Amino acid sequence: MQHLANVSQLRAQAGEAAIEVEGLSHTYAGANGSVPALVDISLSVRKGRFVVIVGPSGCGKTSLLMMLAGLRQQTDGAILCHGQPMPKPDPERVGVIFQEASLFPWLTTLDNIEFPLSLRGTSREERRRRSQAMLSLVGLEGFGERYPHELSGGMKQRVSIARGLVQDPPVLLMDEPFAALDEQTRMTMGHELLRIWSTTRKTVVFITHSLTEAVYLADEVLVMSARPGRIIDHIEVELPRPRTYEMMATDVFGRLRDRIWQQIRKTA
Amino acid sequence: MTRTQIIVIRLVLLALVLGAWEGLPRAGIINPLLLPPLSDVLVMLVDLIRRPMVQEAVAVTALEVIVAFIIAVPIGAAAGILIAENEYIGDICKPMLFYVFSIPKSIFLPMFILVFGIGFQQKVAYAAFTTAFVVLMSAAAAVESVRSDHIMVARSYGATKTQILFRVYVPSMLPILLEALRIAMIFNFTGVMIAEMYASRTGIGHLIANWGENFQMPQLFAGVIVLSAVAIVFNEAVRALEAKCSTWRT
Amino acid sequence: MRRPDPAAVRWMILAALLALWEVVPLTGALPELFLPSLSKTLTVLYIDRHIYFAALLVTLYEVALSMLIACGLGILIGALVGGLAMLRELLLPVFSSLYAVPIVILYPVFTAWFGIGSSSKIAFAGIYGFFPVMLSTAAGIRTIDPQFLLAARSMGATLPQQITRVIIPASLPTVFAGLRLGGALTIIGVVVAEMLTASAGIGYLVTLNRTILDSPRVFAAILAILVLSIAYYMLARALESRMVVWQSAGRRQQQSSSRGEPVAVPTPAAA
Repeated sequence: MQHLANVSQLRAQAGEAAIEVEGLSHTYAGANGSVPALVDISLSVRKGRFVVIVGPSGCGKTSLLMMLAGLRQQTDGAILCHGQPMPKPDPERVGVIFQEASLFPWLTTLDNIEFPLSLRGTSREERRRRSQAMLSLVGLEGFGERYPHELSGGMKQRVSIARGLVQDPPVLLMDEPFAALDEQTRMTMGHELLRIWSTTRKTVVFITHSLTEAVYLADEVLVMSARPGRIIDHIEVELPRPRTYEMMATDVFGRLRDRIWQQIRKTA
Repeated sequence: MTRTQIIVIRLVLLALVLGAWEGLPRAGIINPLLLPPLSDVLVMLVDLIRRPMVQEAVAVTALEVIVAFIIAVPIGAAAGILIAENEYIGDICKPMLFYVFSIPKSIFLPMFILVFGIGFQQKVAYAAFTTAFVVLMSAAAAVESVRSDHIMVARSYGATKTQILFRVYVPSMLPILLEALRIAMIFNFTGVMIAEMYASRTGIGHLIANWGENFQMPQLFAGVIVLSAVAIVFNEAVRALEAKCSTWRT
Repeated sequence: MRRPDPAAVRWMILAALLALWEVVPLTGALPELFLPSLSKTLTVLYIDRHIYFAALLVTLYEVALSMLIACGLGILIGALVGGLAMLRELLLPVFSSLYAVPIVILYPVFTAWFGIGSSSKIAFAGIYGFFPVMLSTAAGIRTIDPQFLLAARSMGATLPQQITRVIIPASLPTVFAGLRLGGALTIIGVVVAEMLTASAGIGYLVTLNRTILDSPRVFAAILAILVLSIAYYMLARALESRMVVWQSAGRRQQQSSSRGEPVAVPTPAAA
């Protein structure tokens, strides 16, 4: 495996790393033998950071996220989340938000948000209190009794985020959550997400196709190559927070975007 | 599972069923008077096919099925296309269709008998009547399945109505039409059977009802096997044809 | 001139049909034998109401039990065959091929085995309804969005929780559709069976009175059956719409087609 010269070797001490991935590889059985999906991925995410993984289609970034979430097991290598491995999903440690909000259509918004708590047997009052709090956090007060089919795409994703946050996990994994939304809604949602993040200070690992989104949201961007996926670049985004739309027009922004694009192009 | 595995397992299951049909009556576990062993049924089947009376009955039934089909399809198709094409008529008729489908159409058999008496015309009329409704629904569904954006593209390139009909509607509808005809035939066959079993002096359905009444079980089962085989073979043949025409369907 | 509202037109058509039913026989355009007038039919229905009521009870009893078979087995097996890939690949094509066989030819077998009483009707109508319900449920199960299970897993749901909290609620629309279909089909199956060979039931009354050429009583029975099947349909729809407000929202996006509301090709009854 090659480290590019500028790949950061910052290895946080065990106590500070929210997520540690060491030498992770994954192959799966294809029609003609085994297919390598991910090759020798190593990364470290410090607590409270907003890390974005960006890469071309099919590079395995979703698979990586599923492994971080405990939804899939890697064939090789180790994953530690807050010092413990992830053999199966642990919503108290890691909240997962998918591209499709997947809200249960037979439940109201509040019931959807509470769903993880109801799986644990939390008391009704406690569930309501927490879900109401999350509802306010994502800016959907008053929509608690609506059903998903009455909500717009952006609103559904907000509910999905509220659901992911309701158990107050320290880590949030997000798999292209805004990909199905139109561009204007995407920009609003990105902004909202940063607001929520700065209020709650979770560790976020966010996957996207969009270079703009990556630079806009991230503290650090990890660039993945085309399949088989490896990390080919690690970029610190030195834009001040809070981020603003105006920053998108700056030179710095453009150069960062460009750098990512050049890296991806080389491998595609 | 591979295709061969699937076929093998199905053959095994079939063998088990056939084996049970042979073995259980022979062993006396099931009363052989109620369920004759498979071999007896097959022997009887071979014998029946040679009898002129049976051959006549088959011919009568086949004719009824064909004639009823020929009558029902154009009428049902025309009505279905009308409902699909004309929005107003469609709005009126569509909610009624579901009610119509809940009604057992066999209750109208007595009316057909009262009007036509017992005989060829009555059975054909009844079968055509029931089949027409199914064809209607399918035709309407077929017309509505043609994607409006395809039509728009054709129109934007200046296609005439005839061109749109033959170059967009027909290819688009073809697989659905074949499926519709297949399903219509299933219902047509059923309709003829019901009519023959209810009040008739000819036809295979009548023979089967007769054999049942007289507890002639080997004959009865032989008849059931033959009819089932014919139905299934026809169905699969049309399905194969459908598959050929719909390789482009998602 | 503004066209009248379609719903109004439907009522007008219904009213016209009823009026024709009354008037045409009275004018002698059609012999009373072919079509007794509506008033005569209703009169006879009233006079013999005890007989018709008793017959309806028999029929309803048979329908109820055959629904247990058709819907109970149909939904259960349909869910299994539709949900489990192995079973689906293996068995679904077999079942849909069998659907081509006119089940009615099995009815004489059932009368030979079970006699002309209720059991043969129940067995027959049960099987008659089973296939379409099973096929419809198998198809419906597949419309459940697999993302639901992924989301549930990510929230730490155990397997029993996945089944009770996700799969079952998500399959309710399919189950209700199966119940509605099964009920309609078993009514049809029972009526056909009663008309063919029976000693009781509303279908039996049709045949009985036809053979003695008592047309008003034949049509009274026909009317009773019409009312029964329409009432069932309305009841089933009402229940369904109450319970399952969010039906379409939970399904995977179906291929969008057409102009306006598509007319679905049903798997209905032949009889």
